[in-house]
Amino acid sequence: MRDVLIVFRKELREILRDRRTLTAIALAVVATPTILFVISQVSVKTATQTYTVGYSGPIPAGLEVLFTATGLKLERVDDPAAAAKGEVDIGLAFSASGVDEYYDPTRQSAQITDIRVQTILGRYDAAKIAATLQEKGVDPSILDPLPLRSHPLSSPTQAASNSFLSFFLPYILITMSLTGGLSAALDTSAGERERKTLESLLLTPAPRGRLLIGKILAVSTISLLAAVASIGSMLIALSQISFGGGGAQGEHVSLSPLAAGVMLWLALLLAASFSSLTIALGTLARNFRQGQAYATPLYFITIFPASIVLFIPDFNPGVAYYLIPILNAVLVLRDAIVHNSIEWSSLSVTSVSLILTGALCFYAALRLFTREALLVRS
Amino acid sequence: MAAAVKVDRLEKTLGSNKVLRGISFEAHSGEIFGLLGPNGAGKTTTLRIICTLLAPDAGSVDVLGFDTRNAPQEVRRRVGVVTAEIGVYPRLSARENISYFAELSGLLDGDLDRRVDAVIARLDMAAFAGQRAESLSSGQKQKVAIARAIVHDPPVLMFDEPTSNLDVLASREIRQFMVESKQRGKCVIFSTHVLHDAERLCDRVTIIHQGRVVADGATADVRRGYQDLEDSFLTLIESAT
Repeated sequence: MRDVLIVFRKELREILRDRRTLTAIALAVVATPTILFVISQVSVKTATQTYTVGYSGPIPAGLEVLFTATGLKLERVDDPAAAAKGEVDIGLAFSASGVDEYYDPTRQSAQITDIRVQTILGRYDAAKIAATLQEKGVDPSILDPLPLRSHPLSSPTQAASNSFLSFFLPYILITMSLTGGLSAALDTSAGERERKTLESLLLTPAPRGRLLIGKILAVSTISLLAAVASIGSMLIALSQISFGGGGAQGEHVSLSPLAAGVMLWLALLLAASFSSLTIALGTLARNFRQGQAYATPLYFITIFPASIVLFIPDFNPGVAYYLIPILNAVLVLRDAIVHNSIEWSSLSVTSVSLILTGALCFYAALRLFTREALLVRS
Repeated sequence: MAAAVKVDRLEKTLGSNKVLRGISFEAHSGEIFGLLGPNGAGKTTTLRIICTLLAPDAGSVDVLGFDTRNAPQEVRRRVGVVTAEIGVYPRLSARENISYFAELSGLLDGDLDRRVDAVIARLDMAAFAGQRAESLSSGQKQKVAIARAIVHDPPVLMFDEPTSNLDVLASREIRQFMVESKQRGKCVIFSTHVLHDAERLCDRVTIIHQGRVVADGATADVRRGYQDLEDSFLTLIESAT
């Protein structure tokens, strides 16, 4: 145990003096809230921005007021079809027979303006029909024989923010668990070989297994630190961004104590597994650069599982799916965030799966670290 | 006198290359023993087997009564190795580099500081002991490499081509250090192909070529009848090829 602590302390000291690792973690901590801030600003701007509608012909009475109230600026043009190609966001040609709409679907501003125009015209038509029916003494409610009354059981804005968190949080947790300690892992394995310190280290009486455990513990600590710091900065940023109306009326995103506890437990398991795996890959490599090349495919496994939650938000698999490492962490964390509850069977299977994965990665790293070729190849 | 290191009929194959073909020799405490041979003769492989980094395919190595197969940790406690590779941890200071290896060698708190201070003083490193290793010169790094190899005061010291990357001054310091170690009663094994150094320093030599011993004995005996050790070495190698 003493040997493990000696190696752990030394590796941690070296890592904390390594600009590459510290810069990567600092960038992640700063980049996450910055990206979220930019996204929120863009979405607010998109929602409140005024778009221009080029029109020709006579506008029906009252419609102009609706356009202005919905953030659409009317501008008279000679040829709405030509103007819609760039001069304005959308072109409308009013005539006695109706309205012809011209827009370019490849432009996002045209798509947004189209949705607003469709909504306005729908409401305008409904109001005109209702007024006509009333003039003729007919109850306008006959147009809506089965009115729908909606009763959401939880706050829709809270649900939206939970959905947002259920994608971003697992993604950042997995990405930072891997990349936060990657540089340190390669430095302590491939780097040790590259700078010719490996032979001296193996000449000490300390058993190789203990040397390896010390290295893995140090890298795991940094990975965990990076993941927690990134998620912490993300949550702080989200607490300043309001969903659903903004200002005091909007709701802020926060993580429940249950979700926070689950996240920390999963971060611990992921950090340990990734550390063993990246050290094993680094041990195979002759130098740092080769180690980076070996580790590159690992980035894909951080994106794919989180994408499932993004593209299939209601993906509710059987317990067998929780045996799949990484995906299981994403699913458990999603459940904890969205439903604020934990299926203990899922969490147990996930924990066993990740512990076994970590053990397997450690065994692979140990085999590679204790083989003769480690020195002969160098 | 009992041998500090006894190598007996050592064989080793690396990949498809049979590197050692039955090497045997003995090295004693209080002497500098030269392990000589051209590049690729098997010197480094032999040293790596002695210090337990590699396992022999056949034969045995005994270091101060401990077999390298059965008691590798005991052997490593008694051996210090200096190589041409002067790799150090760049983000640690010279002192931290030495302390790390002292701790891993089993030295504890008070004893550890005393030993680290002692080797820093002995190798005249006080001026740069607090500097990060990345800022040290090659000669200073070599001193760190020597310090970490001897900080646990091993009775057997092995030098594998220690001067090949060093300038004249640093090389001279290494040679002086080997002589001092011999005078302190250490068993010094010096592996080199620089025969001029070997002739000046070694009490006894073993010349190996293509994994076999071609000459073994006191340095004076091996060079007897020849102009110098280099002349003797070349003649022996040519006749063995």
